[in-house]
Amino acid sequence: MSSAPDTLGVASGGHGGVVPPGASTEAAALPVAGKGSKGSLPRLKTASAWVSVAGALVVWVALLGPVIALLAHLSWRAFWSAVSAPGALDPLLVSVESGLVTLLVLVVVCTPLAYLLARGRLPFPRVWEAGVLCSLLLPPLVIGLLLVFMVGPYTPVGSLIGHFHLTATNTFLALVIAEVYESAPYYVLGAQAAFGSVEPRLEQQASLLGDRPVRVFRRVTLPLAAPGLAMSLAVAWARAMGAFGAVVIIAYHPTGIPLQIFTTLQETGLASALPFALVLLVVALPLPLGAYVWSARAERRRRG
Amino acid sequence: MLNADVEVERRSFTVRATLSVAAGERVALFGASGAGKTTVLEAIAGLVPMSRGSVSLAGRMLSGPGVAVPPWRRRTGLLRQDPGLFPHLPVRDNLRYGSRGAAAAELEPLAAVLGISDLLAAMPARLSGGQAHRVALGRLLLAHCDALLLDEPYSGLDAALRRTLTALVRTLVRDRAVPAVLVAHELADAQAFADRLLVLDRGSVLQAGSPSSVVLRPASRRVASLVGYLGFAPAGRGLAGVHPDRVVPGALPDRGPVLTGTVLASRPSGAAWEADLLVGDTPVTCKLPDQPTGPELVITVLDPPYFGPDGNAIDRPAADARACPGARSSS
Repeated sequence: MSSAPDTLGVASGGHGGVVPPGASTEAAALPVAGKGSKGSLPRLKTASAWVSVAGALVVWVALLGPVIALLAHLSWRAFWSAVSAPGALDPLLVSVESGLVTLLVLVVVCTPLAYLLARGRLPFPRVWEAGVLCSLLLPPLVIGLLLVFMVGPYTPVGSLIGHFHLTATNTFLALVIAEVYESAPYYVLGAQAAFGSVEPRLEQQASLLGDRPVRVFRRVTLPLAAPGLAMSLAVAWARAMGAFGAVVIIAYHPTGIPLQIFTTLQETGLASALPFALVLLVVALPLPLGAYVWSARAERRRRG
Repeated sequence: MLNADVEVERRSFTVRATLSVAAGERVALFGASGAGKTTVLEAIAGLVPMSRGSVSLAGRMLSGPGVAVPPWRRRTGLLRQDPGLFPHLPVRDNLRYGSRGAAAAELEPLAAVLGISDLLAAMPARLSGGQAHRVALGRLLLAHCDALLLDEPYSGLDAALRRTLTALVRTLVRDRAVPAVLVAHELADAQAFADRLLVLDRGSVLQAGSPSSVVLRPASRRVASLVGYLGFAPAGRGLAGVHPDRVVPGALPDRGPVLTGTVLASRPSGAAWEADLLVGDTPVTCKLPDQPTGPELVITVLDPPYFGPDGNAIDRPAADARACPGARSSS
């Protein structure tokens, strides 16, 4: 494993864990400080090195372009007047609440699925994976349409929900359902990769040392998968916050930030929608960034 | 005391082995790769289901009719080639992983014995192969396992380190009086470790005995090939097994059969020379102190085992007499 911590990729690859057997004799042990672990700059000696760095910089700036454009075109006064209008921040509350509930649902429902997929404990694993991919590959707008036919008031599922005096169209429940469908595959695939990076041998060893399976999961599997799990949860959070395609069809009310941006854009134009774009970014990004920093630190700590 | 009567179905054959290891005793399961050695260990540890048989350890029934204690309640310590340290825990936490607090006072003295006192705060990624193995061994000992199962733990390490670690394990097994079973595909590893050797081939135990009796008096030609006999030349009452290490140049008829062969090839081997001979129409490989000079070579095979046409050893009574000094030879 080289110097840079894994980039935003959900799977955090192999942990820098066990020393390959017989890799070195005892004498060669401790003094070998992991090279590059202190973030030393690569030396730019050749023209091709300069060209590759310049090319990477162009791509990086281009990818960040929208954020730069947002900050360049937004005036503080416009931002302040937009967010201080009465009720302007209600959608923020709706988005955060629905996002948190979505995360809870994902953690409770999808974590076991991801673990079983990673450990190959399910028969016909490809079929299960295809099911997960299905909601990833379907356009969100289509998911929204199909959800109406699945959980709408006159469907079997809808009438079942009705027994609990709930409705799955234009309600908070509908918003959560839409957000779950838009974010679940990102979490499942990421968590599967995170669990997959934990060597089964380590779980077996913990078991032989006297831990029942639940304890093995808590003491070995979970800590080792945690950086990857945090990253995929963060990605899922960002997807849930920004969910629009399915939401606009099945949960037009209550209004979350993406819909607020859309309606403001339609009613009063580009300039007045921009402040809410910043609100969305400010709400959606801290968790992924925090998870990124935390998992990078966990990797570094593990390398000693 | 570990008593295991193991039967496990594998794809191509059934693994059957019976072994009984006293506290503080060291037994080696020796055989070629894929003979089913690891399967025996895993069945004892409860990691693979048995089709029949029983395992009992320190008076507790672990497997048997209607009994299947899960791995986490067996207290069998398994050490593999990959030491399997938990990468997210520093050495100290790795060591006390299975000890449940009670053995805290034991940790420092044991670390000193293992020579890892300076490493307690280090992360496993920083350890060398040998250090990682010491930590893994310490972790098993602190967990107070009732048996040590060693699955070729040191096969990736260099020879000197392997010797040190083997000696360390021998001492610890004796001091703590736990039964220990080593799986090895190198005869030297098995001999260096064990009091008793079980030769396993395609799932069956072919021979059990002290390492020297197995090597000097293999029960069959198959065992003989496994322990390093590289030729079977007609002599006396049958086929004499020729082990390269048990050959001297020249004719010493009172020490064993004298063979005359044509030198086909020779090459340096360690501090000696290894030569391929053709004795009659039988190829034989032997080790000699010096490079053979002429095309013809006379060698004496020191007290070889003899095998009958069925492949089994003849002359068993003599072998038994040798194994138990004082018994009267009946041949």
